[in-house]
Amino acid sequence: MKGIGVWVCASLAVLGGAAPAGAADHNNVDAHRPLSFDDADSLAFREQAFELGLNLAWPRKRPLGLGMDFEYLYGFAMNSHASLGFEPSTGGRAGDPDTGFDLGSVALGLFHNFNREHRGAPAFSVRGDAYFPTGREAKGVAFRLRGIASRQAGYGRLHLNVDLNGNPGARKEERQIHPGVVLGYSRPIGYPVHFHTTGLAELSVRAGEDRGTGPVIGVGVGMRRQVGVRSVLDVGLQSDVAASRGAPRDHLRLVVGYSTGF
Amino acid sequence: MTRPFWRKWEETRKRGNGRSGGPAEVPISSFPHFLISLFLVAAAAAGQPPRDLPPLPEKLPGWIRNTDRNHIFYRRGRYNFDVYNVPKLARDLNAVAVGHAMAYEDLVTGKAGQLETKTFGRIDRVLKNPPRFMPDEAAISPTFGRRYGVLEQVFDWTHILHAQTVDVLASKQLTEPEKDREIERLWKFYFESVPYAVTPLPMNMEFLDGQPYSAAFRKKHPKVNGLFWGYHWLQGAMYDMLYRASAEDQRAAYEVIGEQYHKTELYRTDRPFMPMFAEVSPIFAARFPHIANAFDNLHMLHDLVNDILASEWITDKQKDDQITRAIWLLSAAAHRGEAPGRRRQEAGGSKQEGLHDHRHFLGVPGMGMMTGMTPELMWMPRMGWMSMADCHHCSMPLWDGEDWWRNPTVTAGGWSMRVRCPLCARDMSAETKGRSLLRIPTEKPDRIVFVVSDDAGNLKTSTPGVVFLENEGSHTGCDEWSRAFSSLAAFAAYVKANPKLAGAKALSFEDWAKREGRKPDTYVKPKGPSENPYEHRGHQR
Repeated sequence: MKGIGVWVCASLAVLGGAAPAGAADHNNVDAHRPLSFDDADSLAFREQAFELGLNLAWPRKRPLGLGMDFEYLYGFAMNSHASLGFEPSTGGRAGDPDTGFDLGSVALGLFHNFNREHRGAPAFSVRGDAYFPTGREAKGVAFRLRGIASRQAGYGRLHLNVDLNGNPGARKEERQIHPGVVLGYSRPIGYPVHFHTTGLAELSVRAGEDRGTGPVIGVGVGMRRQVGVRSVLDVGLQSDVAASRGAPRDHLRLVVGYSTGF
Repeated sequence: MTRPFWRKWEETRKRGNGRSGGPAEVPISSFPHFLISLFLVAAAAAGQPPRDLPPLPEKLPGWIRNTDRNHIFYRRGRYNFDVYNVPKLARDLNAVAVGHAMAYEDLVTGKAGQLETKTFGRIDRVLKNPPRFMPDEAAISPTFGRRYGVLEQVFDWTHILHAQTVDVLASKQLTEPEKDREIERLWKFYFESVPYAVTPLPMNMEFLDGQPYSAAFRKKHPKVNGLFWGYHWLQGAMYDMLYRASAEDQRAAYEVIGEQYHKTELYRTDRPFMPMFAEVSPIFAARFPHIANAFDNLHMLHDLVNDILASEWITDKQKDDQITRAIWLLSAAAHRGEAPGRRRQEAGGSKQEGLHDHRHFLGVPGMGMMTGMTPELMWMPRMGWMSMADCHHCSMPLWDGEDWWRNPTVTAGGWSMRVRCPLCARDMSAETKGRSLLRIPTEKPDRIVFVVSDDAGNLKTSTPGVVFLENEGSHTGCDEWSRAFSSLAAFAAYVKANPKLAGAKALSFEDWAKREGRKPDTYVKPKGPSENPYEHRGHQR
């Protein structure tokens, strides 16, 4: 069970883990709020935001689990922001036989946007997150590197996230490095009459956490709705629809969250 | 001192001969130029548009072609988003954002042909049902933003100045002096945070509106242009309505302003020129002329861009270049070292000379020179010629210098006029049709009496305890014998300090509102250099 907390955290990161980006506007898409992908937009310079979420997971062959995530973001430089977050959870977790309360890892992240979308070129960003082992049986500092490209598609936007997850403290039967890819889509809903809601969808593929396990394919749909001048409510439903060679996965995951910028 | 992030853009790039296509410029006296002119006249006569566009300046700063996103958050303040203290205004401003974005997106996605029909209908629906929250313009006009990202940065950044100054004015927590100071800080924040701030200098609007493509948009899409200018009217008119007014007065005043906006200003297609800030908010423009100029210049940038995009004879590449040039013309960077009230003479008399003409109307440092007008006289549709330094009711000089705040204003029928005294305000309002709004200063700079006049001319105010002095005589002295006071004590102190007013009676608001003065003995109707400077204006050759 060594380092399982970190591993779970790293896995969750692929699914939409401890990762923030963007301002408190329904059109700005941040990982975890409510799906797993980021758009390529950073927080505005000097903007701050809090993002809070609850998720109810139904992992395969495990009891229901409840997780929370808290995130603070700060646009510390032009086109860049930093984040600090943690994700306590209790109950069933995919790939973890333990059902007790786990504080989870503390995540520190940096996000930088290289360019806006212009002409035919997508917007490109990169983010890096370090997960410090503050949870149960956690060991070593896990990390994730994510490359992000966002591009207009009609009135919607496509977002490609390519992840490289690393876990130096992994046990023998676990992979130290495992990649993942998420293709996300966001589109304002209600134009040209309403201007407060964005619909989201995603398709993800990630390598299984344990050596010998196959890839896990996930899908998700969600919605972000402006509920205040600087606040957004989000709701999402995710499912790992397929996994090969016994890779741990969630049947279903319901995510509800709230973001506010200031 | 911290090095600004945008220093990396400071390097300039040389761009060949800088021409954006079309025939080369030639000395004005040359024979080839004569032949080209002859060709252009013949082409115009045959309905063929010209192809000579002004070239891009040879050296442009690096930021003008940046591909960064560069979002900057509002300056932090407890007043942020206080525009919602005037809920109807807040929602109307949200709708304005939608209108601009929808029109721009259709213009750049080959739907210009439906601008006056479908697009107008979509925009109008939003204007009549304004959104609760400020929409993300970038999501409504993604193609436009992708193509003209730097322009979008200029627009967005100046719109933030617009939004934050309005938030400050609508704040219930800040005192009036605090608001003035914060607005200056906001200006500094705006001007110093990025290299692409719009110039605060008064600009020669005749020059800017005299480009080869000028007026194309208003001629081709008069209804949508009317909406745009209606937005700009509101974005100007709201300032005097909010400035030094209580929250209650602001909401009451917006009943008048909002009605004018929705019923008339949005649908006017007869304006010869865009609404100028100082025309509709002369008091705020007198206090913050640099901000008034920046907003006029922002709105002129909108017009330049509209006209470029609406000119079918300009190729896509030329449109890109001309929009880049338009950003440069209105940028602060293009006018470094220049000062308001001055005109930089170009060696040899360049065609660009009007670009560096920063003269303004006498007594109005917040408004640049306009077509066919002189610094002494301005022309307005339906109003004719007028001296902006004099009272529009009695022709006597307005308050200026440190006393700039003492001028009352009358807002009616889409215009706002400064007058010299409360009597002039009241009687001028009585002479106008429809509802009007009077803004009458008392002895305290931060205590303004807001008066609303209904269609029948009945006056109402929510300011308690206000009293008036009206010892009518010649208007040469109306600044002394017609005044408003915040209290009876203030009235008594003023009368005591002015022995020639001994025995003057204090009038309650109700008594004052019923009075009517004599026709001013000093009134003179100014005569301008022409009947209507816009009448024979050919914007498009």
